[in-house]
Amino acid sequence: MTAALLAALVLSQTYYTPDEAQAVFREGNDAFYQDPPDYAAAKAAYQKLLSHGMEGPDVLFNLGTACLANSDLGEAVLYLERSRRLRRSDDVEANLAIARQRQGDQLVGSAGAEPFLERVADATDDDATALACGISLWLSLGLVLLFRRLAPGRRGAVAFLMVMTLITAAVATTLVSIDAWAGTHYVQAVVMPATARVREFPKDGARVAFEVHAGLKVRVMEESGKFVRIRLSNNLEGWTEREGVVEL
Amino acid sequence: MRRTGSHSALLLLGLLTAATARAEVEFYQTVDRTKIGTEDTFHLTIVVGDAPEGATVQFPAPNDFEVLQRSQSTQMSYSLGAGNSGVIKRVQKYTLTMRANRTGKLTIPPAALATAQKTLKTEPIQVEVVKGRLAPDAPPPGRRSPFPDPFGNFFGGGNDDSDPFSGFPQPPEPDVPRGSSDTFLKASLDKETAWVGEQVNFSLYIYSRADLAAVDAVTMPKLEGFLSEDLDSPTQLAPESRTIGGVPYRAYLLRRRAIFPLKAGDISIGPAEVDITTGWLYQGSRQHRKGNPLTLKVKPLPREAQGLNVGRWRINAEASQTSTQVGAPLQVRVVLDGVGNLKSAVMPKLSGPTALKIYEPTTTDKVQIRRGTFGGTRVQEYVVLPQQTGTFTLPAVKLRYFNPESGQVEESTTDPLTLTVAAGAGGQNYAQAPAGGSGGTDAAGPKNRLEAGGLKQLRHTAQFTSARKPLWSRPWFVPFAAGPLALTLGFAAFGLMRRATSGSDPASEKKKKARAARARLAAAEKLRASGKTADFYSEVEKALLSFLDTRLSQAASGLTREQLDLKMAAAGASEDVRARVKSALETCDVGRYAPGMGDDAARGRALDEAARAIEAWDDK
Repeated sequence: MTAALLAALVLSQTYYTPDEAQAVFREGNDAFYQDPPDYAAAKAAYQKLLSHGMEGPDVLFNLGTACLANSDLGEAVLYLERSRRLRRSDDVEANLAIARQRQGDQLVGSAGAEPFLERVADATDDDATALACGISLWLSLGLVLLFRRLAPGRRGAVAFLMVMTLITAAVATTLVSIDAWAGTHYVQAVVMPATARVREFPKDGARVAFEVHAGLKVRVMEESGKFVRIRLSNNLEGWTEREGVVEL
Repeated sequence: MRRTGSHSALLLLGLLTAATARAEVEFYQTVDRTKIGTEDTFHLTIVVGDAPEGATVQFPAPNDFEVLQRSQSTQMSYSLGAGNSGVIKRVQKYTLTMRANRTGKLTIPPAALATAQKTLKTEPIQVEVVKGRLAPDAPPPGRRSPFPDPFGNFFGGGNDDSDPFSGFPQPPEPDVPRGSSDTFLKASLDKETAWVGEQVNFSLYIYSRADLAAVDAVTMPKLEGFLSEDLDSPTQLAPESRTIGGVPYRAYLLRRRAIFPLKAGDISIGPAEVDITTGWLYQGSRQHRKGNPLTLKVKPLPREAQGLNVGRWRINAEASQTSTQVGAPLQVRVVLDGVGNLKSAVMPKLSGPTALKIYEPTTTDKVQIRRGTFGGTRVQEYVVLPQQTGTFTLPAVKLRYFNPESGQVEESTTDPLTLTVAAGAGGQNYAQAPAGGSGGTDAAGPKNRLEAGGLKQLRHTAQFTSARKPLWSRPWFVPFAAGPLALTLGFAAFGLMRRATSGSDPASEKKKKARAARARLAAAEKLRASGKTADFYSEVEKALLSFLDTRLSQAASGLTREQLDLKMAAAGASEDVRARVKSALETCDVGRYAPGMGDDAARGRALDEAARAIEAWDDK
């Protein structure tokens, strides 16, 4: 009995019911739109939802937008990018464009575009691709078995379907493999502090090569102690403190 | 003259001295204090009463003392003497303002009064001299400044705001430098400690006991670590009367600056230098004087005051009108007023809703110096161009500043301004927006401007999901995705194994031959379109016979139709199947030789008949 009560107590503090979550969400929206706006209160409400496991593209979008309105550029880019990863939409792209305009770094030099595989991984929906991969493989197996069962004159349609599902399975498997590779090898992060020093070597006394500013999206290449090696989209690289960047 | 009553011994000494010359001459000397500091001045008074005609006073000339000034006064008194005859008494007083040159118990030697008959001497006086300053300098006894100020309290006493320098505190009484006590240069600050950014007044005076003809050159110290604003740089010498250590001086202001320290710590100011000419016409002499260095202790601003204006400030805002039309500009004046360094003051920016386009302001500074304090008024005039109809509020402008007097951060806030904007009537002559602005005035008149852009609005409802990993990273995904491939490989391996272990299995042989028969049928299908009729039917017949070979387990090609029927019956084929097979074989025989069987339709029928016969056997 006591254990059940304790469990109920813990659950009540850890989880929101859908109605409670919607109420907290509205609380954040109200703070955002009150006159004068209270962006800090709006942020706090959305972050409360995240801390209780109530995520989703809408919460992340609103949180990113509140951060952007509050001029917290690093957090704004982080949450908007996370929302974009879950579900692409025009409003996320628009607010991300505004955040990029406000960002303080101008990357000069060659490159710019991400590598092909990263772009493919970025453009595909992880879950949809994985589902398509699994289903098409099983469907292919079923069609192969059916094909074998049918007499030669009746195999045409099955053969066509079998070929199509095999092609689909091959493409989907390739995309899932790319996603998996990119997920483990291509780590993106966002610079959080207003200014972060990037050194030439992973050591406190090492010379500062350049500085980056809040909201810049970087790629994390490797880590050493408290430093991570970051690469900018123009291939500029250096070491900065791990706590200064947050992975997407 | 002020005598120190506590020094009764000295007084007695003086009286005794006077007693010796009671009948003829009264002659004694006194000091106003017997314990002094080396920085103090004191007064030695020598009194001569009823001195005979031609008597001269010889003043003491001690090596241990410096005589800064000498003055003289005469007093006549009338009294009735014996026999009611009138007696006139004449008393002469000589006052010497002196300063000790060293410490210790020093002796002021006696003064002498030389008459025709004899020379009278006073008693020597001993004084104790210690280092430093013991007491403020006393004014010379019995008299005021020899340079009475004809203007009285004209400058200092009134509250006339029109005089920017009224109320300047007098600089502290300077120490008279040894060796150049007649003319010296003195710099002073009105504060010993100040906050970063707080105003401190720096004054440079030259003190002189002689007439100054001209100041030829003034070299100001480098005021490093300060922002400096000129308060007063007189172009003509204007003397002020000052008494320092009882000695009257003329003080000439050379420069007065407001300085604002930029950093915390002890900031030093080097000595100023000046070249002057004293005396008049050809009797003048040119002299060079160097002033004193100064040090100001500057306190850092509290953490919460970093970056704020320093001083006492007040801010207010006003709009030229509160009701207007779309496209009709109005002016909003934000006024900063107070004391402090106006030139480096920072004003908060006026902001407002996007419906009101606010242009960059024009800024006007009016510096004012009141009672030696730097300050003034800064006016920022914004042009606000309404772009939408409605009621809009320009939020309050808040200014936080550090008040050095209270040592705290204080705040001044304007009232919010509410503007009502109505739709503009087309074609009216609206005031034009400032150059470079997109005022929206065109031939049709200003419109309610609805501009896209800005942040996208928040989502009003949410679908919540818990944070989760992508499907491909879940542990079950790889077995799920690899399952079909694994099963395929498993089936293949199983078939291979079974084939390897079964060797020449009759059943598998049968199946193999049946597959071969079907393959032949498929080959016949390919011949269907060719013109070789005999080959086509021969291939179909071979496929059928080959199928029968596998089903009858013996060669069917040499059998007559009756034998074949018996064998099929023995193999369990039904009447219908047997009829189908025989019919298909007949068709093949006829097709090879009979005319009309070469067309595509006949070939198709033969192929279907053979296939149905095979299927019928398999389905029996």
